[in-house]
Amino acid sequence: MTPAQPTRSPESDRDLLKRYHIGGDTGAREQLVQRHLPLVRSLARRYAGRGEALEDIEQVGAIGLLKAIDRYDLEREVSLTTYATPNVVGEIKRHFRDKGWAIRVPRGLQELNAKMSGTIERLTIKFERSPTIAEIAAELDTTPEQVLEAMEAGSAYSTVSLSSGPGGGGDDDDFDPMESIGSEDDEYERTEQRASLEPALEALPEREREILRMRFEDGLTQTQIAEKIGISQMHVSRLIRKSLSRMRDQLT
Amino acid sequence: MRPDRIALETPIERGWEPVFRLVLGGVADRLDLGFEDLDDIQLAVERLLAEAGTQESVNLAFEILPEGLRTRIGPLREHAIAEALQGPEPRPGELTLRRILETVVDSFGVEIVDDGQIMVILNKRVRKR
Repeated sequence: MTPAQPTRSPESDRDLLKRYHIGGDTGAREQLVQRHLPLVRSLARRYAGRGEALEDIEQVGAIGLLKAIDRYDLEREVSLTTYATPNVVGEIKRHFRDKGWAIRVPRGLQELNAKMSGTIERLTIKFERSPTIAEIAAELDTTPEQVLEAMEAGSAYSTVSLSSGPGGGGDDDDFDPMESIGSEDDEYERTEQRASLEPALEALPEREREILRMRFEDGLTQTQIAEKIGISQMHVSRLIRKSLSRMRDQLT
Repeated sequence: MRPDRIALETPIERGWEPVFRLVLGGVADRLDLGFEDLDDIQLAVERLLAEAGTQESVNLAFEILPEGLRTRIGPLREHAIAEALQGPEPRPGELTLRRILETVVDSFGVEIVDDGQIMVILNKRVRKR
Protein backbone atom coordinates (compact mmCIF):
# COMPACT_ATOMS: atom_id res chain seq x y z
CA MET A 1 0.00 0.00 0.00
CA THR A 2 1.34 3.37 -0.96
CA PRO A 3 1.57 5.76 1.92
CA ALA A 4 -0.68 8.77 1.56
CA GLN A 5 1.13 11.81 0.23
CA PRO A 6 1.07 14.66 2.70
CA THR A 7 -1.24 17.33 1.37
CA ARG A 8 0.40 20.67 0.89
CA SER A 9 -1.66 23.42 2.38
CA PRO A 10 -1.93 26.53 0.28
CA GLU A 11 0.33 29.36 1.25
CA SER A 12 -1.25 31.89 3.54
CA ASP A 13 -1.83 35.45 2.40
CA ARG A 14 0.87 36.49 4.78
CA ASP A 15 3.42 34.12 3.24
CA LEU A 16 2.58 35.44 -0.22
CA LEU A 17 2.79 39.03 0.98
CA LYS A 18 6.24 38.31 2.41
CA ARG A 19 7.36 36.74 -0.85
CA TYR A 20 6.18 39.80 -2.72
CA HIS A 21 7.30 42.56 -0.37
CA ILE A 22 10.58 41.03 0.79
CA GLY A 23 11.56 38.86 -2.15
CA GLY A 24 9.99 40.94 -4.92
CA ASP A 25 8.13 37.87 -6.22
CA THR A 26 5.49 39.27 -8.58
CA GLY A 27 4.07 35.77 -9.01
CA ALA A 28 3.05 35.90 -5.35
CA ARG A 29 1.36 39.23 -6.00
CA GLU A 30 -0.56 37.69 -8.89
CA GLN A 31 -1.66 34.79 -6.68
CA LEU A 32 -2.94 37.27 -4.11
CA VAL A 33 -4.85 39.15 -6.79
CA GLN A 34 -6.47 35.99 -8.11
CA ARG A 35 -7.30 34.82 -4.60
CA HIS A 36 -9.05 38.08 -3.70
CA LEU A 37 -10.83 38.84 -6.95
CA PRO A 38 -14.04 37.23 -5.64
CA LEU A 39 -13.97 39.84 -2.86
CA VAL A 40 -13.66 42.59 -5.48
CA ARG A 41 -16.55 41.12 -7.49
CA SER A 42 -18.70 40.89 -4.41
CA LEU A 43 -18.01 44.52 -3.46
CA ALA A 44 -18.46 45.71 -7.05
CA ARG A 45 -21.92 44.12 -7.24
CA ARG A 46 -23.09 46.51 -4.52
CA TYR A 47 -22.50 49.37 -6.93
CA ALA A 48 -24.10 47.76 -9.97
CA GLY A 49 -27.16 49.35 -11.57
CA ARG A 50 -25.84 52.88 -11.31
CA GLY A 51 -25.34 53.36 -14.99
CA GLU A 52 -22.04 51.60 -15.48
CA ALA A 53 -21.24 48.07 -16.55
CA LEU A 54 -20.43 45.73 -13.68
CA GLU A 55 -17.20 44.64 -15.34
CA ASP A 56 -15.99 48.23 -15.43
CA ILE A 57 -16.73 48.63 -11.70
CA GLU A 58 -14.90 45.36 -11.02
CA GLN A 59 -11.92 46.66 -12.90
CA VAL A 60 -11.82 49.81 -10.80
CA GLY A 61 -12.17 47.67 -7.67
CA ALA A 62 -9.24 45.53 -8.82
CA ILE A 63 -7.08 48.63 -8.89
CA GLY A 64 -8.00 49.16 -5.23
CA LEU A 65 -7.00 45.57 -4.51
CA LEU A 66 -3.63 46.03 -6.20
CA LYS A 67 -2.98 49.18 -4.22
CA ALA A 68 -3.88 47.36 -1.00
CA ILE A 69 -1.44 44.55 -1.80
CA ASP A 70 1.30 47.02 -2.69
CA ARG A 71 0.80 49.16 0.40
CA TYR A 72 0.27 46.36 2.90
CA ASP A 73 2.50 46.77 5.93
CA LEU A 74 3.86 43.39 7.07
CA GLU A 75 4.31 44.68 10.59
CA ARG A 76 0.59 45.19 11.03
CA GLU A 77 -1.46 42.31 12.38
CA VAL A 78 -4.42 42.69 10.09
CA SER A 79 -5.64 40.30 7.44
CA LEU A 80 -5.32 41.29 3.80
CA THR A 81 -9.09 40.93 3.35
CA THR A 82 -9.72 43.41 6.14
CA TYR A 83 -7.11 45.79 4.79
CA ALA A 84 -8.19 45.47 1.16
CA THR A 85 -11.93 45.94 1.63
CA PRO A 86 -11.88 49.69 2.39
CA ASN A 87 -9.28 50.17 -0.37
CA VAL A 88 -11.49 48.48 -2.94
CA VAL A 89 -14.64 50.27 -1.81
CA GLY A 90 -12.78 53.58 -1.66
CA GLU A 91 -11.50 53.15 -5.20
CA ILE A 92 -15.00 52.39 -6.48
CA LYS A 93 -16.58 55.29 -4.60
CA ARG A 94 -13.90 57.66 -5.83
CA HIS A 95 -14.55 56.46 -9.35
CA PHE A 96 -18.26 57.22 -9.09
CA ARG A 97 -17.66 60.52 -7.33
CA ASP A 98 -14.99 61.84 -9.70
CA LYS A 99 -16.06 60.29 -12.95
CA GLY A 100 -19.80 60.28 -12.83
CA TRP A 101 -22.27 61.28 -15.47
CA ALA A 102 -21.10 64.62 -16.80
CA ILE A 103 -24.56 65.67 -17.88
CA ARG A 104 -28.04 64.66 -16.81
CA VAL A 105 -28.86 61.43 -18.61
CA PRO A 106 -32.26 59.78 -18.13
CA ARG A 107 -32.03 56.68 -15.99
CA GLY A 108 -33.51 54.50 -18.72
CA LEU A 109 -30.71 55.45 -21.09
CA GLN A 110 -28.10 54.93 -18.38
CA GLU A 111 -29.42 51.44 -17.79
CA LEU A 112 -29.57 50.68 -21.49
CA ASN A 113 -26.01 51.92 -21.86
CA ALA A 114 -24.90 49.68 -19.01
CA LYS A 115 -26.46 46.64 -20.72
CA MET A 116 -24.97 47.40 -24.10
CA SER A 117 -21.40 46.51 -23.30
CA GLY A 118 -22.19 42.91 -22.43
CA THR A 119 -24.69 42.64 -25.27
CA ILE A 120 -22.15 43.78 -27.84
CA GLU A 121 -19.64 41.27 -26.54
CA ARG A 122 -22.15 38.41 -26.63
CA LEU A 123 -23.22 39.28 -30.16
CA THR A 124 -19.63 39.70 -31.33
CA ILE A 125 -18.90 36.15 -30.17
CA LYS A 126 -22.16 34.83 -31.63
CA PHE A 127 -21.76 36.44 -35.07
CA GLU A 128 -17.95 36.44 -35.10
CA ARG A 129 -18.09 40.09 -36.15
CA SER A 130 -19.14 43.41 -34.71
CA PRO A 131 -22.96 43.54 -34.43
CA THR A 132 -25.03 46.18 -36.19
CA ILE A 133 -27.17 48.73 -34.41
CA ALA A 134 -30.30 46.83 -35.44
CA GLU A 135 -28.94 43.58 -34.03
CA ILE A 136 -28.05 45.23 -30.73
CA ALA A 137 -31.53 46.79 -30.59
CA ALA A 138 -33.22 43.45 -31.28
CA GLU A 139 -31.19 41.75 -28.57
CA LEU A 140 -32.10 44.44 -26.06
CA ASP A 141 -35.71 44.50 -27.21
CA THR A 142 -35.58 48.18 -28.05
CA THR A 143 -35.28 50.43 -31.11
CA PRO A 144 -32.14 51.40 -33.05
CA GLU A 145 -32.82 55.02 -32.08
CA GLN A 146 -32.73 54.11 -28.39
CA VAL A 147 -29.48 52.20 -28.90
CA LEU A 148 -27.90 55.20 -30.61
CA GLU A 149 -29.11 57.50 -27.86
CA ALA A 150 -27.74 55.16 -25.21
CA MET A 151 -24.40 55.02 -27.00
CA GLU A 152 -24.34 58.79 -27.04
CA ALA A 153 -25.31 58.86 -23.38
CA GLY A 154 -22.25 56.71 -22.74
CA SER A 155 -20.05 59.43 -24.13
CA ALA A 156 -21.46 61.73 -21.46
CA TYR A 157 -19.92 59.41 -18.94
CA SER A 158 -16.23 59.97 -18.45
CA THR A 159 -14.54 56.79 -17.38
CA VAL A 160 -10.91 56.52 -16.44
CA SER A 161 -9.30 59.89 -16.06
CA LEU A 162 -6.25 60.23 -18.24
CA SER A 163 -4.83 62.66 -15.74
CA SER A 164 -4.67 59.84 -13.27
CA GLY A 165 -1.67 57.71 -12.62
CA PRO A 166 -0.50 54.63 -14.45
CA GLY A 167 -2.51 52.49 -12.10
CA GLY A 168 -5.67 53.88 -13.55
CA GLY A 169 -6.61 56.59 -11.16
CA GLY A 170 -6.68 57.54 -7.59
CA ASP A 171 -6.06 60.46 -5.34
CA ASP A 172 -2.73 59.14 -4.23
CA ASP A 173 -1.09 58.77 -7.58
CA ASP A 174 1.69 61.25 -8.02
CA PHE A 175 2.09 60.89 -11.75
CA ASP A 176 0.37 63.58 -13.78
CA PRO A 177 0.93 63.33 -17.53
CA MET A 178 -0.08 66.94 -17.91
CA GLU A 179 2.96 67.97 -15.96
CA SER A 180 5.38 65.96 -18.02
CA ILE A 181 4.59 67.90 -21.17
CA GLY A 182 7.09 70.60 -21.95
CA SER A 183 5.78 74.13 -21.82
CA GLU A 184 8.41 75.93 -23.84
CA ASP A 185 7.30 74.95 -27.33
CA ASP A 186 8.13 77.54 -29.89
CA GLU A 187 5.97 78.06 -32.94
CA TYR A 188 8.11 75.76 -35.07
CA GLU A 189 7.74 72.92 -32.62
CA ARG A 190 4.02 73.42 -32.41
CA THR A 191 3.71 73.21 -36.17
CA GLU A 192 5.70 70.01 -36.16
CA GLN A 193 3.57 68.60 -33.40
CA ARG A 194 0.38 69.20 -35.32
CA ALA A 195 1.36 66.33 -37.56
CA SER A 196 2.43 64.07 -34.75
CA LEU A 197 0.86 63.35 -31.41
CA GLU A 198 4.02 61.61 -30.28
CA PRO A 199 5.15 63.95 -27.48
CA ALA A 200 1.75 63.74 -25.82
CA LEU A 201 1.66 60.00 -26.38
CA GLU A 202 4.70 59.59 -24.17
CA ALA A 203 2.86 61.33 -21.35
CA LEU A 204 -0.09 58.94 -21.30
CA PRO A 205 -0.35 56.18 -18.71
CA GLU A 206 1.11 52.87 -19.85
CA ARG A 207 -2.24 51.18 -20.41
CA GLU A 208 -3.56 53.94 -22.66
CA ARG A 209 -0.30 53.97 -24.63
CA GLU A 210 -0.51 50.24 -25.08
CA ILE A 211 -4.11 50.45 -26.29
CA LEU A 212 -3.20 53.12 -28.85
CA ARG A 213 -0.18 51.11 -29.97
CA MET A 214 -2.29 47.97 -30.43
CA ARG A 215 -4.96 49.87 -32.37
CA PHE A 216 -2.89 52.17 -34.58
CA GLU A 217 0.45 50.35 -34.81
CA ASP A 218 -0.52 46.69 -34.75
CA GLY A 219 -3.93 47.27 -36.36
CA LEU A 220 -5.87 45.22 -33.81
CA THR A 221 -9.62 45.76 -33.66
CA GLN A 222 -11.28 47.09 -30.54
CA THR A 223 -12.65 43.62 -29.88
CA GLN A 224 -9.18 42.06 -30.07
CA ILE A 225 -7.76 44.72 -27.76
CA ALA A 226 -10.63 44.23 -25.33
CA GLU A 227 -9.89 40.51 -25.19
CA LYS A 228 -6.19 41.08 -24.65
CA ILE A 229 -6.48 43.48 -21.75
CA GLY A 230 -9.70 42.18 -20.24
CA ILE A 231 -12.04 45.14 -20.60
CA SER A 232 -15.10 45.66 -22.76
CA GLN A 233 -15.02 46.80 -26.37
CA MET A 234 -16.98 49.91 -25.44
CA HIS A 235 -14.43 50.70 -22.76
CA VAL A 236 -11.63 50.37 -25.31
CA SER A 237 -13.51 52.74 -27.60
CA ARG A 238 -13.92 55.30 -24.84
CA LEU A 239 -10.28 55.07 -23.80
CA ILE A 240 -9.04 55.55 -27.37
CA ARG A 241 -11.29 58.56 -27.83
CA LYS A 242 -10.33 60.15 -24.52
CA SER A 243 -6.63 59.49 -25.07
CA LEU A 244 -6.59 61.11 -28.51
CA SER A 245 -8.62 64.10 -27.31
CA ARG A 246 -6.38 64.61 -24.32
CA MET A 247 -3.26 64.33 -26.42
CA ARG A 248 -4.59 66.83 -28.94
CA ASP A 249 -5.60 69.24 -26.20
CA GLN A 250 -2.08 69.17 -24.82
CA LEU A 251 -0.63 70.22 -28.15
CA THR A 252 -2.78 73.32 -28.64
CA MET B 1 -27.88 57.70 -60.29
CA ARG B 2 -27.05 60.22 -57.60
CA PRO B 3 -26.33 58.50 -54.27
CA ASP B 4 -28.53 59.09 -51.27
CA ARG B 5 -26.93 61.93 -49.39
CA ILE B 6 -27.37 63.50 -45.98
CA ALA B 7 -25.69 66.82 -45.34
CA LEU B 8 -25.46 69.13 -42.39
CA GLU B 9 -23.57 72.18 -41.28
CA THR B 10 -22.37 71.92 -37.71
CA PRO B 11 -20.42 74.14 -35.34
CA ILE B 12 -16.96 72.69 -34.73
CA GLU B 13 -17.16 73.13 -30.98
CA ARG B 14 -16.83 69.75 -29.27
CA GLY B 15 -20.14 70.08 -27.48
CA TRP B 16 -21.92 69.64 -30.82
CA GLU B 17 -20.24 66.34 -31.63
CA PRO B 18 -23.16 64.25 -30.37
CA VAL B 19 -25.28 65.72 -33.18
CA PHE B 20 -23.17 64.42 -36.03
CA ARG B 21 -22.50 61.18 -34.17
CA LEU B 22 -26.23 60.53 -33.92
CA VAL B 23 -26.68 61.33 -37.61
CA LEU B 24 -23.83 59.00 -38.49
CA GLY B 25 -25.37 56.37 -36.24
CA GLY B 26 -28.62 56.61 -38.18
CA VAL B 27 -26.75 56.27 -41.46
CA ALA B 28 -24.80 53.29 -40.11
CA ASP B 29 -28.02 51.62 -39.04
CA ARG B 30 -29.42 52.13 -42.52
CA LEU B 31 -26.28 50.62 -44.05
CA ASP B 32 -26.08 47.72 -41.56
CA LEU B 33 -22.61 48.84 -40.57
CA GLY B 34 -21.14 47.02 -37.59
CA PHE B 35 -20.73 48.82 -34.28
CA GLU B 36 -16.96 49.02 -34.67
CA ASP B 37 -17.18 50.39 -38.20
CA LEU B 38 -19.53 53.11 -36.98
CA ASP B 39 -17.17 53.90 -34.13
CA ASP B 40 -14.27 54.13 -36.61
CA ILE B 41 -15.98 56.70 -38.84
CA GLN B 42 -17.13 58.73 -35.86
CA LEU B 43 -13.56 58.78 -34.58
CA ALA B 44 -12.20 59.84 -37.99
CA VAL B 45 -14.61 62.76 -38.21
CA GLU B 46 -13.94 63.77 -34.61
CA ARG B 47 -10.19 63.86 -35.20
CA LEU B 48 -10.57 65.94 -38.36
CA LEU B 49 -12.85 68.42 -36.61
CA ALA B 50 -10.36 68.64 -33.77
CA GLU B 51 -7.72 69.70 -36.30
CA ALA B 52 -9.97 72.18 -38.07
CA GLY B 53 -8.48 75.11 -36.22
CA THR B 54 -10.37 78.30 -35.60
CA GLN B 55 -13.17 78.07 -38.13
CA GLU B 56 -16.58 78.14 -36.54
CA SER B 57 -18.50 75.58 -38.53
CA VAL B 58 -18.03 72.88 -41.11
CA ASN B 59 -20.15 71.00 -43.62
CA LEU B 60 -20.48 67.27 -43.35
CA ALA B 61 -22.02 65.10 -46.04
CA PHE B 62 -22.64 61.38 -45.86
CA GLU B 63 -23.14 59.65 -49.20
CA ILE B 64 -24.50 56.14 -49.37
CA LEU B 65 -22.74 54.30 -52.19
CA PRO B 66 -23.21 50.71 -53.36
CA GLU B 67 -19.87 49.78 -51.81
CA GLY B 68 -20.23 51.71 -48.58
CA LEU B 69 -20.22 55.15 -47.03
CA ARG B 70 -18.39 58.24 -48.26
CA THR B 71 -18.02 61.14 -45.85
CA ARG B 72 -17.06 64.63 -47.05
CA ILE B 73 -15.77 67.13 -44.54
CA GLY B 74 -15.10 70.71 -45.52
CA PRO B 75 -14.30 73.17 -46.82
CA LEU B 76 -11.53 73.41 -44.23
CA ARG B 77 -9.17 76.35 -44.03
CA GLU B 78 -6.52 74.49 -42.06
CA HIS B 79 -3.86 73.50 -44.59
CA ALA B 80 -1.89 71.64 -41.96
CA ILE B 81 -4.51 68.91 -42.33
CA ALA B 82 -3.70 68.46 -46.02
CA GLU B 83 0.01 68.46 -45.23
CA ALA B 84 -0.48 65.92 -42.47
CA LEU B 85 -2.54 63.65 -44.73
CA GLN B 86 -0.40 63.99 -47.85
CA GLY B 87 3.00 64.13 -46.18
CA PRO B 88 5.49 61.32 -45.72
CA GLU B 89 4.55 58.00 -44.21
CA PRO B 90 4.52 58.09 -40.41
CA ARG B 91 7.59 56.52 -38.82
CA PRO B 92 7.07 53.27 -36.90
CA GLY B 93 5.61 54.13 -33.53
CA GLU B 94 4.61 57.61 -34.62
CA LEU B 95 0.96 58.46 -34.07
CA THR B 96 -0.24 60.99 -36.62
CA LEU B 97 -3.57 62.05 -38.04
CA ARG B 98 -2.65 60.15 -41.17
CA ARG B 99 -1.98 56.94 -39.26
CA ILE B 100 -5.26 57.30 -37.39
CA LEU B 101 -7.22 57.69 -40.63
CA GLU B 102 -5.31 54.86 -42.30
CA THR B 103 -6.43 52.64 -39.42
CA VAL B 104 -10.08 53.59 -39.15
CA VAL B 105 -11.21 54.11 -42.76
CA ASP B 106 -10.56 52.12 -45.93
CA SER B 107 -9.29 55.13 -47.89
CA PHE B 108 -9.16 58.89 -47.69
CA GLY B 109 -8.27 61.81 -49.89
CA VAL B 110 -7.94 65.57 -50.00
CA GLU B 111 -9.48 67.83 -52.65
CA ILE B 112 -8.72 71.50 -53.13
CA VAL B 113 -11.93 73.50 -53.38
CA ASP B 114 -12.81 77.22 -53.46
CA ASP B 115 -10.18 79.72 -52.36
CA GLY B 116 -7.63 76.97 -51.82
CA GLN B 117 -9.60 75.46 -48.98
CA ILE B 118 -9.65 71.70 -48.67
CA MET B 119 -12.25 68.96 -48.57
CA VAL B 120 -11.37 65.68 -46.86
CA ILE B 121 -13.06 62.55 -48.16
CA LEU B 122 -13.30 59.37 -46.11
CA ASN B 123 -14.41 56.04 -47.57
CA LYS B 124 -15.61 53.12 -45.50
CA ARG B 125 -16.66 49.88 -47.16
CA VAL B 126 -19.64 47.91 -46.00
CA ARG B 127 -18.52 44.38 -45.38
CA LYS B 128 -20.79 41.70 -46.81
CA ARG B 129 -22.47 39.59 -44.15
